[in-house]
Amino acid sequence: MRPQFADVLPALLRAADELARHRCRFETFAKVGETVVRRTGHSGNQERQHLLEVGVGCRVVVAGKVGFGAAAGSHAAAGREAARLARENLLPGPDPLPPARLLGATAVPGLPEAGGEEAREGFLKALEKGFAREGRGLLLREVRMLDGCSTASILTGEGFTARAPACGCAIEVLIAAGEGPQRLFHRAARSLADLDPDAFVRQACETSRLTSRGSAASGGLTDVLLAPAVAAPLVEALGAAIIEDTLHTGAREPRIAKAWCLVDERSGPSGLLPLPFDGEGVASRPLTLLADGRLQERCGCWADTHQRGMGAGGAVRSTYVAPPKSGPANVVLHAIPARSPAELLQMMEQGCYLAIPAGRLRREPESGRFSLRAGAVSVRHGRFAAAHPIVELRGSLRRLLAGLVAAGNDPASFSLSCAVTVPTLLLRGLEVA
Amino acid sequence: MERDQAPSLDALAAALARARPAGFRDLFLERVADTVCHIERGNIVARHAILREGGAVRREGTHYSADGLTRVTLARLLDVPGRTLPTLGTPPHPVPPDLAPLVAELPETCESVRWRWRWAAVVRGGRAVTLRRPQLLEVTLVNGRRSLATFPRPLGWRPPEALPPGRASAPVGPARALLAPAAAAVLLHELLGHTLEGDFLVSGTSPLARLWGKRLLALPLDVIDDPTRFDLPGAFDTDDEGYPGQPRPLLAAGTLIGALCDEASAATLGVQPGNARRAGVHAPPRPRLSNLIVTNAWPEDPPREGATIEVESVSAGSLDPLSELLELGVRSGWRLQRGRRASRLHPFTLVGRVDRVRAGLLGAFGTPQESGEPGWCGKAGEVVPAGAVAPWLLVEGMEVR
Repeated sequence: MRPQFADVLPALLRAADELARHRCRFETFAKVGETVVRRTGHSGNQERQHLLEVGVGCRVVVAGKVGFGAAAGSHAAAGREAARLARENLLPGPDPLPPARLLGATAVPGLPEAGGEEAREGFLKALEKGFAREGRGLLLREVRMLDGCSTASILTGEGFTARAPACGCAIEVLIAAGEGPQRLFHRAARSLADLDPDAFVRQACETSRLTSRGSAASGGLTDVLLAPAVAAPLVEALGAAIIEDTLHTGAREPRIAKAWCLVDERSGPSGLLPLPFDGEGVASRPLTLLADGRLQERCGCWADTHQRGMGAGGAVRSTYVAPPKSGPANVVLHAIPARSPAELLQMMEQGCYLAIPAGRLRREPESGRFSLRAGAVSVRHGRFAAAHPIVELRGSLRRLLAGLVAAGNDPASFSLSCAVTVPTLLLRGLEVA
Repeated sequence: MERDQAPSLDALAAALARARPAGFRDLFLERVADTVCHIERGNIVARHAILREGGAVRREGTHYSADGLTRVTLARLLDVPGRTLPTLGTPPHPVPPDLAPLVAELPETCESVRWRWRWAAVVRGGRAVTLRRPQLLEVTLVNGRRSLATFPRPLGWRPPEALPPGRASAPVGPARALLAPAAAAVLLHELLGHTLEGDFLVSGTSPLARLWGKRLLALPLDVIDDPTRFDLPGAFDTDDEGYPGQPRPLLAAGTLIGALCDEASAATLGVQPGNARRAGVHAPPRPRLSNLIVTNAWPEDPPREGATIEVESVSAGSLDPLSELLELGVRSGWRLQRGRRASRLHPFTLVGRVDRVRAGLLGAFGTPQESGEPGWCGKAGEVVPAGAVAPWLLVEGMEVR
């Protein structure tokens, strides 16, 4: 499994040919991606999916008017349709295409070796074996595996052309204990070879047992230790708010804890998804979002940022059916210094350890406030004291910025709306209910 | 595209009957056209047009799907030589409607308008069936409020209103809530829709799995799932496995009498299939709701004096089958005092356990109304359009968080 650039070439070239005839600025973007999905239920029922997604999207600028069109398929007719739609949907607007001087491709780490069906089968067997060993008293309700590769290609009217191969995989297991809610554990990596099924299952089983039975937590402001799986959606939301410029910091400059070192590692090697260029062809580079106690770079896609004097290079485009938009791609939280989870527990002394999320992060876009349910354990004198199957963590991104005290040496990667790599985090003064 | 000429689905069905692909179950074909208008201060500032087409095959226990509907693509999906298949003729993508007059009627807080046309067909057992669905219109406001309707707009359709911000916080704790039809639609969708989906019932993950034939609600509600209501967004004449779509009674006077089933879960539960829906060509068919309709309610006006809060609109609803917690993200509501609206509330969350909410439905009031919400229904990350007709509901057993 590895989709080839050649698969989408007829559509890409035809779209470019069509647009080149009309003396316009244009960009054609094609993507071909192949994904294998497997779900195995506890009763042995299996669901297998094999998806091939391919198509082309075009952005066109003609005499102060801008258009976008996209069509599915790899054949030349799909390219022609996308070009036609882009030209038929022109409306007055500023030129959203970045200037040719900004376009380029950065050298990024090569793709890991493709494992194929054998690797997937082997991983699932190892996972089941690990669960048989570790999962006494627990039920493995479902295993979900997603393994995919893609190639994105870009071609502009000024002659810039580049392609970006990428790959990744994600594993989810749903575990039920005798009591309490079932738990969903998630991990992502560039390839299955980068994931350790034994360690993943061991940690999942320990966490399921730890949070399966207990009482309601006493509410209020407290210090919290967030396991990587709980920290990931919060860090994702923070990265997105910085890049999209929707941080809701109010009139006052936000106080930013010195422990934050948040980087969108677009060109790698850290994180999950190194790509040579962003969603509109601007050469990739690391975008430092938070460091040294302040907001660093604010970049987005060219259309959003150039009039505000901000940098380009922050565009994302996961599919050919939409134009690029500002957003994080490969967010990595660097822990400086990195401490062991046990050390973080000692530092917290008293508070709440949130071990596993129990639902999606909810955000109020107007206020910047969030809430996230999780399975948790109270901590007293640096030790686990009482389990709480469900607590709700509440706060605002502003409070998150101010509250980070330290980060752990146990980074884990997650595939959310972008790739997120984050360790355990210790934060002061968030609300637990 | 040139090949968009006379339909040739029967020829394709005949060719498949001859070629007999190994382990073949069915072939699904789809074409979708989307036009999205982005709006700023009442003016269309960008228009995006997207044409998608693709095929999906279920064979040998695997769901294969691919973008594109060329003979080469289909041959690869079916694992047969390309020469065994005819050139496929599918209806052309239609010319999108002019949305400018509609945009002119919308509030200034409107952010986008999306129009969608969808054509689909299923080939199985030597025959082909074309699936009919309504065109859709989705209006989204800057605050995220969304309304989904069929297109052309049904009579009496009104755009979603921009609601003013709240002035007070909802009192945390147990509440007796009066839900307006749009909010009641989401509650019933979560409470009765997902819990009666065949795959959840078969796997035992639904909290209603063992309540067949039992009284589910103290309130004697009659509820049906009706895909034949073509004035509502969830409509279809044939489901995505090729079975005819029919109104399916789910509750009669509060008693559980029906379930939503695809072919596989229908066989296990011993009921008729006809509720299989796909979120798109890359998603396998699953049992899903179409249009959830409450057919009876008390004719009286909604009793504000009996409630502590009124819920006007919800931003999201969810049911966690694991913890059996039902959650409504309330976008706008009112604190009620002596039967009157006292102050508009900030957004809050209403949470309740499924069994308590079932027991806590106290009354259904007024004529059931069509609602633009929930609009889209998500399951395992796959989203399909859904409609609802619901009355006002008085509920206890939920708490404000």
